[in-house]
Amino acid sequence: MNDPVWVVVLKAVLIFVILVLYTLFNIWFERRVVARMQHRVGPNVNGPFGLLQSLADGVKLALKEDLVVKAADKLVYVLAPILATIPAFLAWAVIPFGPEVRIPFTDTYTALQLTDLPVGVLYVLAVTSIGVYGIVLAGWSSGSTYALLGGLRSSAQVISYEVAMGLSFVTVFLYAGSMSTSEIVAAQEDLWYFLPLVPSFLIYVVAMVGETNRAPFDLPEAEGELVGGFHTEYSSLKFALFFLAEYVNMVTVSAIATTLFLGGWRAPFGLAQVWEGANDGYWPVLWFLGKTLGFIFLFIWLRGTLPRLRYDQFMTFGWKVLIPAALAWTVAVIVLRKAQQEGQLDRTALLVAAGVAAVVLLATLLLPGRRGDEPAESEPADEPDFDAYAGGYPVPPPQAPHVPTRPWTQTAIAHHARDKEDSDA
Amino acid sequence: MTAFWVLAPFMVLAALGLVLARKAVHAALCLAVVMISLAVLYAAQGAPFLFAVQIVVYTGAIMMLFLFVLMLVGVESAESLAESIPGQRIGAVVVALVFGALGVVGVAQSVTGAVVGVDAANEGGNVEGLAALMFGPYVLAFEATAALLITAVLGAMVLAHRERLGRRLTQREVAEGRLQDYAHHGTHPGQLPTPGVFARHNAVDTPALLPDGSVVETSVPAPLRARDQVRPGDRSEVDAVARELEPGEDPR
Amino acid sequence: MNEIPAPVLEWDLIAPLMVLGAVAVVGVLLEAFVPRGPRFVVQASVAIGGVVAALGTTIWTATRTDVLDGDVLARGQVAAEGALSVDGPSLFTWGLLLVLALLSMLLFAERRLGGGLSAFTGRAADAPGSSGEAEATRHRLEHTEVFPLALFALLGMMLFAASTDLLMMFVALEVLSLPLYVLCGLARRRRLLSQEAALKYFLLGAFSSAFFLYGVALVYGYAGGFGLAEVADAVASRTQERPLLLAGVALLAVGLLFKVGAVPFHSWTPDVYQGAPTPVTAFMAAGTKAAAVVALARVLLVAFGGAEWDWQPAFWAVAALTMLVGAVGSIAQGDVKRMLAYSSIAHAGFILVGVVGATGGDGITSVSSALFYLTAYGVATIGAFAVVMLVRDASGESTDLDTWTGLGRRAPWLAGAFALFMLSFAGIPLTAGFIGKWGVFSAAWAGGLWPLVVLGVLVSAVAAFFYVRVVLTMFFDEPRPDGPLLAVPGAMTTVVVTVAAVATVALGVMPGPVLDLAQQAGAFVR
Repeated sequence: MNDPVWVVVLKAVLIFVILVLYTLFNIWFERRVVARMQHRVGPNVNGPFGLLQSLADGVKLALKEDLVVKAADKLVYVLAPILATIPAFLAWAVIPFGPEVRIPFTDTYTALQLTDLPVGVLYVLAVTSIGVYGIVLAGWSSGSTYALLGGLRSSAQVISYEVAMGLSFVTVFLYAGSMSTSEIVAAQEDLWYFLPLVPSFLIYVVAMVGETNRAPFDLPEAEGELVGGFHTEYSSLKFALFFLAEYVNMVTVSAIATTLFLGGWRAPFGLAQVWEGANDGYWPVLWFLGKTLGFIFLFIWLRGTLPRLRYDQFMTFGWKVLIPAALAWTVAVIVLRKAQQEGQLDRTALLVAAGVAAVVLLATLLLPGRRGDEPAESEPADEPDFDAYAGGYPVPPPQAPHVPTRPWTQTAIAHHARDKEDSDA
Repeated sequence: MTAFWVLAPFMVLAALGLVLARKAVHAALCLAVVMISLAVLYAAQGAPFLFAVQIVVYTGAIMMLFLFVLMLVGVESAESLAESIPGQRIGAVVVALVFGALGVVGVAQSVTGAVVGVDAANEGGNVEGLAALMFGPYVLAFEATAALLITAVLGAMVLAHRERLGRRLTQREVAEGRLQDYAHHGTHPGQLPTPGVFARHNAVDTPALLPDGSVVETSVPAPLRARDQVRPGDRSEVDAVARELEPGEDPR
Repeated sequence: MNEIPAPVLEWDLIAPLMVLGAVAVVGVLLEAFVPRGPRFVVQASVAIGGVVAALGTTIWTATRTDVLDGDVLARGQVAAEGALSVDGPSLFTWGLLLVLALLSMLLFAERRLGGGLSAFTGRAADAPGSSGEAEATRHRLEHTEVFPLALFALLGMMLFAASTDLLMMFVALEVLSLPLYVLCGLARRRRLLSQEAALKYFLLGAFSSAFFLYGVALVYGYAGGFGLAEVADAVASRTQERPLLLAGVALLAVGLLFKVGAVPFHSWTPDVYQGAPTPVTAFMAAGTKAAAVVALARVLLVAFGGAEWDWQPAFWAVAALTMLVGAVGSIAQGDVKRMLAYSSIAHAGFILVGVVGATGGDGITSVSSALFYLTAYGVATIGAFAVVMLVRDASGESTDLDTWTGLGRRAPWLAGAFALFMLSFAGIPLTAGFIGKWGVFSAAWAGGLWPLVVLGVLVSAVAAFFYVRVVLTMFFDEPRPDGPLLAVPGAMTTVVVTVAAVATVALGVMPGPVLDLAQQAGAFVR
C-alpha cells in the first residue's frame, strides 16, 4: 500500500481518536452492564444514559495531585506508564477495519488499515511484549513490595499466556497461509475460522483474558493481596495512562480475535447474502466494532460472574492445561492439513475422526479423577481409641459435639439435647 | 540508511549505558533499547519477520527473564569492584579499545559499496524466502537446533528441579507436628509474632516489643537475624514516642 | 503460494547421526517414564546400545562411500543440502568418537566405586553440603539424565567434525558444548569445585562461541555464503576486502582454538578438567579435542587454504606456544587431573604442528597424521582418567600427586597401566604416542616447518622427563602410610583400562591397520 502522507496521518489520528473514545465508552459500558448484573442502575446522570460519566471521571483523575513516591527510581517511574501505553496503541497499526474505501470528498481510495505487514500478527505479539515492560518497570521502580509483586505476577502471566496465544495463532496461519491480518480476513470469505478451529478459538479466548489481566485472571491487581498491584504507587495522569493501556489492550485482543476467528470486518452470517452492499463502503467498520463489542461484553460478563483464581492454580492451568492442549491441537491441525492437501481425507473421514475425538475427550472427562481415589486407600482400616491426651496435650475428640454459641443455632442445640434425652430414655 | 543514522547514535549511547550504568536494571533497560533498535534496523532493511521475532524472542522473552532475575535477586547487592588481578581493568580497557579499533578499521575498509541482494532475497515474500532457506539448505542446522533446545530444557531441569522424595505433608499433619513440638519441646505452636508490634517502626527488621518493653527476637525473620540486620529497639524508643505524643511536653 | 521444494537428505550417509539423535531423544523419554529403580540400568544400556548401533551404522556407511576421481585421494560426498561432508576424515572421526564415547559411557555407568552410586550427584539442585543433599544420598538418587546429555554432546561432536557449512558448524558447536557445560557441574564429590568448573567453562565457552559467530558473520560478509566451498571460491577469486577475510579467519580461529584448548585460549582447561566428574573429563578431553581438531583442519584447509600464507604464521606461533606452555605447565602441577589437563594442552600443540604442516592445500599427510595422533591420545587419555577414578580415599578420588607415591608397590597392574599411558603421552617407542608424534612431526617436516619440529622434539623431551618422573615415583618410592585406598574396580572400569592399555600397546607395536585407515581416509571433500 502506498498511501500519500496525509492519508497515513489521517488514519493514524482516526485510530487514536477511535481508541480513546472507545475506551471512554467501554468504561461506561462496563459499569452499566455490571450494574445490571448486580441489580443496580449504574451511572445514568451525566449526559444521555450517563455516557459522559467516564469523561467526567477522566477529567477528575487528570486534575488529581501527581505524586512521585520518595523511594521511586524517578526516571523509570515516569517512563513506565508511557511504555505501557504506547505499544497498546501501536498494535492497532495492522488491524483492518474494513475493505478498500473512497475517502469522502476526495478521489483517494485506501484500505481501512494503517499498514499491512506480511507478519502483521507477529507484529502485534511483538508490540504487546514491549507493553509488558511498562508493567514490570512500574512495579520495580515504585520501590514498594506490593507493586513489585504485582508487576512480576503480571508479566509472568502475560508471558505464560502469550505462549498459548501464539500457538493458537499458528493454526490460523496454517489455514490462511499467511501471517498478514488483511490476508487472513480475505481467507475467511467462505468460512470464519472459529468454526473449523474451535479449540484454537477457545484457547485464544482464555489466553486473551489472561493476557489482559482481567477477571477472573486479574491477579496482578488482587486488591486483597496486593492493594493495586503494579500501579499501587501511581496517581493522576500516570495512573490514567495505565488505565487507558488496560482498556486499549482489551480492545486490541478483542480486535485480534475478531480478525483471526470471526471474519474480521465481514458482515455476519447471512447478511451478505440478502444484502449485497453489506461488505462494501464503511459498513464493515460497523460489523467490526460490533464484533469487538461482543468480546468486550464477554470480558465484562466474566468479571461480573467469576471469582478470581488463586495464583498457583492460574499458572498450573496455563502451563499444564492450556499450552499442552494448544500444542496437541496444533499438531493435529498440521496432520489434518497435510492429509487434506494430499487428498487422503474427505469430509466423511474428517467428521468420523472429529466424532471419535469428541467421544474420547468426553470419556476422559467422565473418568473419575485419580485424586479422588487416594484418600480412600490411605484411610486406616480401624480407628484407634481416642486418646484425649495424645502427645501430652489435651485435644477434643473429633466427634465431640461442638457447642455453638451463635443465636441462630440455638434451635440446633435444642434438637440435639432432645435427641440425647430420647436415646437416654 | 536514514534509519541507521537515526538509530545508531541511540544504540551506541544505550550500549555505553549498558556497560556504565550503576544499577543492573538500568543496564538491562539499555540492552532492551539496543535490541529494539536492532529490530527496527532489521525492518528498515526489508526483514520484517526478523524484526518481529527479534522483539518477541529477545526483548519480550529473554530480556524479561533477565529483568525478573535482576529484580528478585539483585535488589540490594552491589557489585564487588575489587580487582583480583592487579591492573586487569586498565589492561582490559586498553585491549578492548585496540580490538574495537581493529574491528572498525577492518570493517570500514571493506564495506564501502552499496547494499545488494535484499530484493533478490525477498522476491517471493520475506517470510516465504526465509522458509525456503530454513527448510532447504539449512534444514539440518534447523533440526540440530531442536537437539540444542532439548538439551537446554534437560539441563535446566537437572540443575534446577528438586525431585520430591517424600509425600507432601497435609495441612493436618503440619498442625499435628507443630503441636507435637509444643508438647515435647515447648515450641510455640502458633505463628511467630509479627515484627514492629509496639515498636517504633513497623518494618520487618524492627523487632516487636513486649508490653514491658523487652525485645522479641523471633519476630524478625531468621534470614535478617542471621545477617545481623536487626534494627535495635528497646523501651526508650517507646518512651520517646510517648513523650512526643504527650501534648504537655511538646517542645514547640 | 509458491512451493518450497523438499530438501534432499542422503539418509544412508547421515544414518549414524540419525541413530544417535533418536537414541538421545528416546533417553529423554525414558527419563520421564521409567520408574526410578531400574532407570539407571535402562538408561546406561540404552546409551551404550545406541553408541554401538551408531558405530555399526558408521561402518556400514563407510563401506558405501566411493573413492572419488581426481588427483588427490578422497572419498565420500557432501550431504544434507551442503551442510555436512561425509568424507573419509569425517567417517574416521565418527568412528573414533564413537569408540571413545563407548569407553566413556562405560565409565559413566560405573557404580562400584562410589558405594553403589555413580560419579554424578544425586540431585543437582541441592546446595552442596545441605540437608537436601544428604537426603538425596540417603534415597540413593542418581542423575540418569547424564546419559542423554552425553549422547547429545556426542551428536554435536560428530556434526562438528563433519560440517562443511559455517552455520551448521556453529549449531553443532553449541550442541556439543551445552551438554558438557551441564555435565561438568554434576560431580558427586567436591561439588563446589565442580560447579565452579561448570560456570567457568560455560562463561568462557559462551564467550568463545560469540567470537566464532562474529567470525562467521565477517566471513559471510566477505564470501556471500556460509558453505566452506563458497568461501574457498571467494578466497580464490576476490582480491578486495581482504581485511574482512582476515578478521573473520582470526575470530573463527579463536572459537575453534578454544575448543582445541590451544594457548592462549587454554586457561579454562585445568580448572574444568579438575572440577568435572572424572568420566566427563575423560569423555570431554578425548572427544572434544578430536572433533575440534578435525573441524579446525577442515575450516583452515578447505575454506582458507587459498590464503594460507595469511594465517599460517599465526598458527605456527600458536602451536609453538601451546607445546611450550602445556609441557612446562604440567611440570608444575601437584594434582593428577590438572597434570593431565596440561598434558592435553601440550598434545593440542603437537597436533597443531601436524595440522599447520599441511602442504599444497589438500593436506592428506597432515590430516591423516592428526587423525592417528587423536586416536592414540584419546585412548590413552580415557585410560588415564579411568585409573584416576580408581585411586580413592574416604572423600572420593585422591588426585593429589603426592599420595600416588609408591602406588606401583601396592597395585602393580593399575600403576603399570597408568605408567603405560604416561609413556605413550611422552612418546616413548613401542607405544601409540610415539607413532603419533612421528606422524605429525614428519608431516610438518615435509611441509618445511623444521623449526617447529625441532621445538616439538625438545618439548617432548622435557615432557618425557616429567612423565618418566611420575612413573618413577610410583614404582621406586616407598608408599605413604596414609596413602589412598584402592577401590576394587568394577567390571566397566576394568574393561576400559584394559582396552585402553591394550590399544595403546597395539597401536605402538603394529600401527599398520589404523595408520592405513587414517591414510585411506584421504582429503576433505568440499
